[in-house]
Amino acid sequence: MSAAHPGEAAEPEPTPAAAPDQWPAPPLADWPIGPEVAPTASAPPPGVPRQRLHPLTPLLESFRFFAAAIAAAGIQVVTSQNYLFAVYIALAAAVLGGVGSLISIQYRGFVIWGPELHIYGGVFTRNHRTVPLGRLQSVDVARPLRARLFGLAQLNIEVAGSDGTDAKLAYLKADRALELRGELLAIAGRPSGDVAVDGDVAETDESAEEVKTPPPGQVVPPVRVRRLATASLLEALPVQISALVIFGAAYLTAGSIFGFNRVTTTVWVGFIAPALLGYVQSTIATVNKFLRNCRFRLRRDGQSLLIERGLTDTSHETVPQDRVTAVSFERPVLWRGRRWRRVEVSTAAAAQSSAGVGTRLTTVLPVGEPDLVAAVTEAAVPGLPSQFTVERPPRRARWRMPLRWKWNGAALDEQVFVVRHGLLVNTYFAVPYARIQSVTVVQGPLQRLQGLATVRAMTAGGLGNDAVAYHRDAREAASMADELRERADAAAALETPRLS
Amino acid sequence: MNARATPVWDLWPADLEWQPMARQLRTVWVLRSLLRLGILALIAAVGLTIWLGWDGLLWALGGYVVIAGLRALAVARIVSTWGYSERAEDLLVRHGLLTRRLSIVPYGRIQLIDLSAGPVERMFGLTTVQVRTAALGSTTEVPGLDPAVAAALRDRLAVRAAEVREGL
Repeated sequence: MSAAHPGEAAEPEPTPAAAPDQWPAPPLADWPIGPEVAPTASAPPPGVPRQRLHPLTPLLESFRFFAAAIAAAGIQVVTSQNYLFAVYIALAAAVLGGVGSLISIQYRGFVIWGPELHIYGGVFTRNHRTVPLGRLQSVDVARPLRARLFGLAQLNIEVAGSDGTDAKLAYLKADRALELRGELLAIAGRPSGDVAVDGDVAETDESAEEVKTPPPGQVVPPVRVRRLATASLLEALPVQISALVIFGAAYLTAGSIFGFNRVTTTVWVGFIAPALLGYVQSTIATVNKFLRNCRFRLRRDGQSLLIERGLTDTSHETVPQDRVTAVSFERPVLWRGRRWRRVEVSTAAAAQSSAGVGTRLTTVLPVGEPDLVAAVTEAAVPGLPSQFTVERPPRRARWRMPLRWKWNGAALDEQVFVVRHGLLVNTYFAVPYARIQSVTVVQGPLQRLQGLATVRAMTAGGLGNDAVAYHRDAREAASMADELRERADAAAALETPRLS
Repeated sequence: MNARATPVWDLWPADLEWQPMARQLRTVWVLRSLLRLGILALIAAVGLTIWLGWDGLLWALGGYVVIAGLRALAVARIVSTWGYSERAEDLLVRHGLLTRRLSIVPYGRIQLIDLSAGPVERMFGLTTVQVRTAALGSTTEVPGLDPAVAAALRDRLAVRAAEVREGL
């Protein structure tokens, strides 16, 4: 009441009970609120000159378009000897591509502004990406094949806490890329030496292939190309053989019914050709996977694993140790004699999509012997063994899965819940107890007659990440679920920095 | 032999106290199934009447009475299998007549608790509690509780979830 009087300004503030609606309003905080947000949140003013990317960039990025144009022209020449049309196609492609790239290069560029890197792009839809250099994880110089032809390189910039998609600066001249990388690392306050090994190892790597012990800083020695090729081949062989057998059998049966003349037209076009497309696609996928896993390197950096792989395109992945929700050990059927296994980890990514928690499956070892598997496992989840003994479902469940029964099983290990499944690709799927979200026990009508039940331990993410123990004895299933819950609580209580 | 007929949740090593659903849930679900079958019966009646004349209407009615009666019996039994049990560290929900399901949700993993009530449920004074964890497809539902019971359950779950936060 009296606070408004200027003469009584020295009086202490009135009690809340007196007149709350007559207080002077507190001064508004400067926007944006917070001391250190203000300088970093500023975008560079529009006048700041942007640094350009290399003029060839749009051409290299739309190389598929040019490949298609060349293919079209080539087909014209080969099939109909139509040179003029081929020239037209080439001219049209060149003009379109040239004009398009001239326009698009105007809008592309980047600015280093304070502690941030701003990347601009897009003609119709403008992109503006801000990379906070303070959270810079790594900067690598990658040289895809098509860029290497022109002496260009691209920078992959990885930032901590992002969703795994690197910011890219493509393409720059190779020496400019190296220089820029040093600049960015200097701004981030990181020594440029500790990641320098990623830079241009393309040439030095071939000599390192024969090394048996891991190079310093790496968890496993690089996987040799020959071994990877053998492994891919052995993995693909059953599918390939069965596909060929099915195609052959279909062709022969159809031929013996309709006669071989009509077979070539009707059956081939109607049935085999579409199926052949799928077969070709799966073959291409296998080859692609092989190419992606070439030059596989796994490094350990504090609490996370860094993966670098790829023959033509180097790609990077980061696996934070404390986000690993499951480890799976896979063994395609023909790897059995060599005791090879592939190790993959599922990691729970922070909620990026609307669906909540997403998961990623990352290969941490494309192929390896038991000792390599053990080393990788230890690096991914400390203390996790890589050999498990699981208990099969009871014999009375055998008729339900006659082929798979032998390869099925489940066990409550010391640290993890392990299930085993799969005939063609036999997999041990291990979920650390601390990562189990909830447990369900399901018993279908037939299972009830047999006294069986299925236990499912759910982890964060999709249904594919659940450890499922099929057809356990019902009593065992119930006690297994109980035990899982107890161990999950005990394990979660031990974790000191809790995730949320 | 007897062990085989018992549902899987009765094989739980420790003793559990199962809380039943509210009594009105049976009424609501039986009504709902009658309504759904009624719509089917209407469609069938139109077809049968075109095919058989007015006799078709009788056939449809008779068929509806028989099928709906059986269905109502089954639904009543299904409702009686629903139950939930709050333990010190987790919530257990069981249901199912043919396929029996037992879900165990630890309090520490609960991310969201939803209360929902549709128009029919509101008419009968029922509320559904849904509990979500970070795992996809692990939404555990406790249908048909009295609103007061549901709110109390929600509050208890929320308090315990805040006490033991375990995250992913």
